[in-house]
Amino acid sequence: MTNVLRLAARYYSIPLLLVVWQAAVVSGLVESRLLPSVGRVFVALVRDIGDGVLPYHTAITLGRAGLGFALAAIIGVPFAAAMARSTLIRNLFEPIFFFGYPVPKIALFPIFTYIFGIGSPSKIAFAFLECLYPIVVTAYLGFRATPLSLIWTAENMGTPHTTLLARVILPAALPSIFTGLRIALPISIIVIVLTEMIGDSRGLGYYISVSGTRFEFASVYAAILVIGTCGFVLDRAMLALRRAALHWEPGEIGADV
Amino acid sequence: MPASVQHWIVPIAVLAAWEAFGRIGLLPHYLPPPSAIAGAVLEITRDGELPRAMAISLFRVSIGFVLGGGIGMLIGLGAGLVPGIRHFFDPLVAFLFAVPKIAFLPIFLLLFGLGDESKIAIVAFSCFFPVFIASRHAVLSVSRHLIWSAQNMGAPPATMLFRVFVPAAAPELFSGARIGLAHCFVLLFAAELMGLQGGLGALIVDGDNAARFDLMFAGIVTFALLGFLGDRLLMAIRRLVLRGQIVGTVEQLVR
Repeated sequence: MTNVLRLAARYYSIPLLLVVWQAAVVSGLVESRLLPSVGRVFVALVRDIGDGVLPYHTAITLGRAGLGFALAAIIGVPFAAAMARSTLIRNLFEPIFFFGYPVPKIALFPIFTYIFGIGSPSKIAFAFLECLYPIVVTAYLGFRATPLSLIWTAENMGTPHTTLLARVILPAALPSIFTGLRIALPISIIVIVLTEMIGDSRGLGYYISVSGTRFEFASVYAAILVIGTCGFVLDRAMLALRRAALHWEPGEIGADV
Repeated sequence: MPASVQHWIVPIAVLAAWEAFGRIGLLPHYLPPPSAIAGAVLEITRDGELPRAMAISLFRVSIGFVLGGGIGMLIGLGAGLVPGIRHFFDPLVAFLFAVPKIAFLPIFLLLFGLGDESKIAIVAFSCFFPVFIASRHAVLSVSRHLIWSAQNMGAPPATMLFRVFVPAAAPELFSGARIGLAHCFVLLFAAELMGLQGGLGALIVDGDNAARFDLMFAGIVTFALLGFLGDRLLMAIRRLVLRGQIVGTVEQLVR
């Protein structure tokens, strides 16, 4: 019972908001076309999941986001290690990552559509670019912050280069790598949905913009629910992965948000 | 070769190759060489189109940033200090944070119309979340020793807030504002690209539609530059406010 109460005390705001929403619609306070009742959103959600429309678009969006994210992680982490270990690579590429970081890369998306076409490739390439920055920068700072005393100690004991990398430097940088991955994961979904809204005929972003122009706002909210749930589940999965990989490290303070 | 020289190699090489390949006609028509883009920037600066679009975009992004960031910081500080506020907002933010805020654009367009209001609203909405999360986390991670010492010496609540919590949380508040500002520019660009009512986004779409790719690139370069300078400005303010506080931390590396 106390567990139920504790759960209620922690999560009461979501049901409360739903009740206020429903009350506002029923009492006619807000135009119901703009804000369909909770029931109608639920009906739209069940209908579109049932006839396979939402699962189809969700699979496309998640597939694109996952591919862009995975590419950025696979290329970004070794690249960050190279930047941290080699002065030449660092001097060549550090300005690109540090000065390029605050540049709103979304402005480049029109060019991406010309180079890669309007379909999946331009979106995956763009998600790759957007994920690459946080992954490389945080991993790089993590690799740089490896205590020199650890490296010297290992080298002093005759550790070969590959062992040094795999057993000392990588574990020391792993928390930073995971921080970067956790930042980049929602970015990949955000970027894919955003670019799908700008122009495509598939994916959740397309589904939202089409439903919006048809004034089917119940479907817009249904899609938002689906994206929110996917993002939430993926973030939890990333945290679980982090805990498993970093079993020696206590969790981040306040990481449960 | 000194490091300062090496820093410039890649950007200059890319620009030079771009220009050279453009001159000999090896690049597709949608990639005008840098010199043509610079010419286009001059052209639309002189006839006033670029400054006008810049003013519109800057107006939207700054109002949206101040509104969303301000509200996010206030509620975030509140959530850090008061468990009741925290428990109300935590589940909502945890759910909505992962949703691309642009998904709400159809709703905001209908609520606020096609003009400035809908863009400002969606920019502010997207800015709220990172700022809220950083502010909440910043207050919660203020060292217990600082809080206990101040309370022990009888500091009243207002002093606690302005002399202990806010200064101790300040570096992270700026980190949150920085992420928020980046979100603002992304959302503004997407909203202007889809909402089509003035601003640099509309300028880029116009150049695209008219197949004037030099004009499109002029808009893109200006937008990227605005985002970059906005970030620099925020970091300059941060350095001013946090004089001496960030020496010897990782943040010093990130400049």
